[in-house]
Amino acid sequence: MNYTVYYIVHLLTMFSIYAILGVSLNLVVGYTGLVSVTQAAFYGIGAYATALIAKTAGFGFFSSMLIGVIVAGLIGLLIGLVLSKFRDDYYVIVTVGFNIIAYGIFMNWHSLTRGPLGIVAVPRPKIDFLGLHLDFNNNLLFLALVLVFLALIYFLARFIAKSSFGRVLKAIREDEKAIQVFGYNAFYFKLAIFVISAGMAAVAGSFFASYLRFTSPNTFVLMESVLILSMIILGGLANLKGSLLGAFILVLLPELMRFVGFPNEIAAEMRQIVYGVILVLLMIYKPSGIMGEYKL
Amino acid sequence: MKNDKNIIEVKNLVKHFGGVYAVNDLSLKIPRGEVVSIIGPNGSGKSTLVNLLSGMVEINSGVVILNDAEKLKKIKSYEIQDLSITRTFQEVRLFEQMTVIDNLLVVLTNRSVFGSFFEVHKKYHLEEVERMLQRVGLEAKKNQLAKNLSYGQRKLLEIARALLMKTEIYLFDEPFAGLFHAMIKTVSGIIKDLRKEGKTVILIEHNMDLIRELSDYVFVMDEGSLLAEGEPDSVLKKKSVIEAYLGK
Amino acid sequence: MNIVPQLILNSIIAGSIIAFLAVSFNLIYGATRFFNMAHGTIAIFGGYIAFFFFKTLGWNMYLSAILGILAAGLLGYIFDRIIYLPLRKRKASGMIMLVASIGVFTALQSLIQIFFTSEFQTLSDISVHDRLYTIFGATITQTQIYILIMAFIVAICLIIFLKYTIFGKAVKAISDDEEVAKIVGINTNKIIGLSFFIGSGIAAIGGIAVGFDTGLNPTMGMKLLLHGISAAIIGGVGSVYGAFIGAFVLTFVANFSIFWISGEWQEAVAFVLLIIFLIFRPRGIIKR
Repeated sequence: MNYTVYYIVHLLTMFSIYAILGVSLNLVVGYTGLVSVTQAAFYGIGAYATALIAKTAGFGFFSSMLIGVIVAGLIGLLIGLVLSKFRDDYYVIVTVGFNIIAYGIFMNWHSLTRGPLGIVAVPRPKIDFLGLHLDFNNNLLFLALVLVFLALIYFLARFIAKSSFGRVLKAIREDEKAIQVFGYNAFYFKLAIFVISAGMAAVAGSFFASYLRFTSPNTFVLMESVLILSMIILGGLANLKGSLLGAFILVLLPELMRFVGFPNEIAAEMRQIVYGVILVLLMIYKPSGIMGEYKL
Repeated sequence: MKNDKNIIEVKNLVKHFGGVYAVNDLSLKIPRGEVVSIIGPNGSGKSTLVNLLSGMVEINSGVVILNDAEKLKKIKSYEIQDLSITRTFQEVRLFEQMTVIDNLLVVLTNRSVFGSFFEVHKKYHLEEVERMLQRVGLEAKKNQLAKNLSYGQRKLLEIARALLMKTEIYLFDEPFAGLFHAMIKTVSGIIKDLRKEGKTVILIEHNMDLIRELSDYVFVMDEGSLLAEGEPDSVLKKKSVIEAYLGK
Repeated sequence: MNIVPQLILNSIIAGSIIAFLAVSFNLIYGATRFFNMAHGTIAIFGGYIAFFFFKTLGWNMYLSAILGILAAGLLGYIFDRIIYLPLRKRKASGMIMLVASIGVFTALQSLIQIFFTSEFQTLSDISVHDRLYTIFGATITQTQIYILIMAFIVAICLIIFLKYTIFGKAVKAISDDEEVAKIVGINTNKIIGLSFFIGSGIAAIGGIAVGFDTGLNPTMGMKLLLHGISAAIIGGVGSVYGAFIGAFVLTFVANFSIFWISGEWQEAVAFVLLIIFLIFRPRGIIKR
């Protein structure tokens, strides 16, 4: 592959991974109105679960991913149970806390995660099925696979958003006490969507670890959760296309900065500065983002 | 009383916020199938009573008996639809950033997490919503966001939402407040229809003419307890009631 | 060797640092009613400014510290003027203010990272050995003694200031009800701006103290804030005493947890403590 194609394939792969994260978080923040800043924790759980299970237990990528999704879902369930006690400012601060704890676990549980060294040589997926032999060491093929999963998750999210369940989520977001009077126990709905969202984020994590063939704690810092949040607010809350747009801008932005001539390390910081400034400006001038259907 | 069975009986109900007793040892019986008004000066505990009956605030002590059978010491708001109770709010509570249609559809669909997950609203759901919108005269606004409605339209939408619950008991907390004449007629028509259908309506209201016109029975509350009760005409003439309203 | 005296001393010192963040968070929260997520990073910013004058330019230590405090106070004030004031004027929800402050946090942390790198930077002078004192078998450095004295002074000043000055009464009036405060003629925006200045300045004392004690790192701001908020919540939001009590409860529990669980998990222990308080005693030790 020549360099330009390789580069574009890389950007599209990163876009797809972030789009999965954005769509998953939008279900919680945009549709249910719960401002969660801990999505990177589930992203990380997915990445580590896949990396560890594929490497140590020798499972295939897809079964490892499935286990990662289940683990993230279970942890999401526990965190969701704690979070059900909180709202607004307190909700945010508790999610921030969870992200910091998750990072601490990735960093400090050496026997499992190898701490800052991370886990290397995470395998890529392989399909050997009914005479079909696909080796996803090829980046183009890998991209196709991520895109398929992005599509699956996007349509699942859209299905949720259009279902009666999704309408109840919106009503919870608007007035939780009022919707309860009409017979809905908001607790279970909030818990369910939080678990689903955690599972989706884990899928993104599986792909990330497998794509880079490596995973380390530094990807799953609090700032990553903030970036995912900024991305969906920029694209627009409660609009799934908005999350795709947000992911697209997020991935393209540091590349543009490199083109403008910032050195690599500064480009990464500049991206965060720009995102911080965008977040502030959006809050002041357009809290609903580019195509949002809900404003905080 | 045309029916000797009471649909709701409240016994020794107490609710206090800190040291302030909003409802203080209140006992009353609400007859089935009638329109019952609760009146009293501001802060007399009317809204708190409705909040207690709908599980919006926790009961401190006392008991609520439904249909002479079910004794409730605790009411959870998400369980009141199973008790066939619904309500409106004194300060309108709509799902602001949702369309008018969605504000109504949301009370028609499946209540369980799993059930609603695999359900998309059906055509008959929509038809029911459209009929209701016509009844309250909001069909032209159906695709607007609730937050863009006028004050009166918001009140009507809230009443429409309660009607779609098709319960036996309706708690209306000041449904007429701030409405223009035409809308008052719509709402009083709705209440009369409910009575014809044999539903029980508990109405909090300040307008004496409407109380006389609509209600079969009146409870007067003051400082969290019952001051008087009876047929509207006789109760509204009582000296103590007039004093409570005008101040001592 | 008995490590208990050292653990007690460490807890007191860490507690004093957290207390700077807790009281200042409380002050701003009282005036604005939103969780300012940039607060910890502003504290760290103050530390870095002190670092710049003291270490990079070689100025006098005390002067550098004062400049750090003033710079952080000014930055807090500027953020209020250009971001939170316009939001208040638009009657923005608390959540919008909070998300805006997340934006401030993101940008500010990255800015610090560009100028000062993500390496640890220490304010303490390695060439000049800190004098060591021993109390009941525990060692304490001269810097740490200064931190304790500072915390004590700030606490006393703040309590007096909030209780006896017009500013203190105005802040209390605003935190009770901003609309009423406006009606009785309090210039709420001026008071809120001032509380941002004072609050950010006090937070910076904490940031500078961290710089002397363990060294600075750009991502440390959020952790400091989380501890500060935890302390404020544990002690009871809105109370100066409560913030101090909360800070010490937090650091004592975290430090003494090493008897049961290894030191890396102090962060998690502190967080679990916060959750326990939020669930079982949401209004803290000192109820307001």
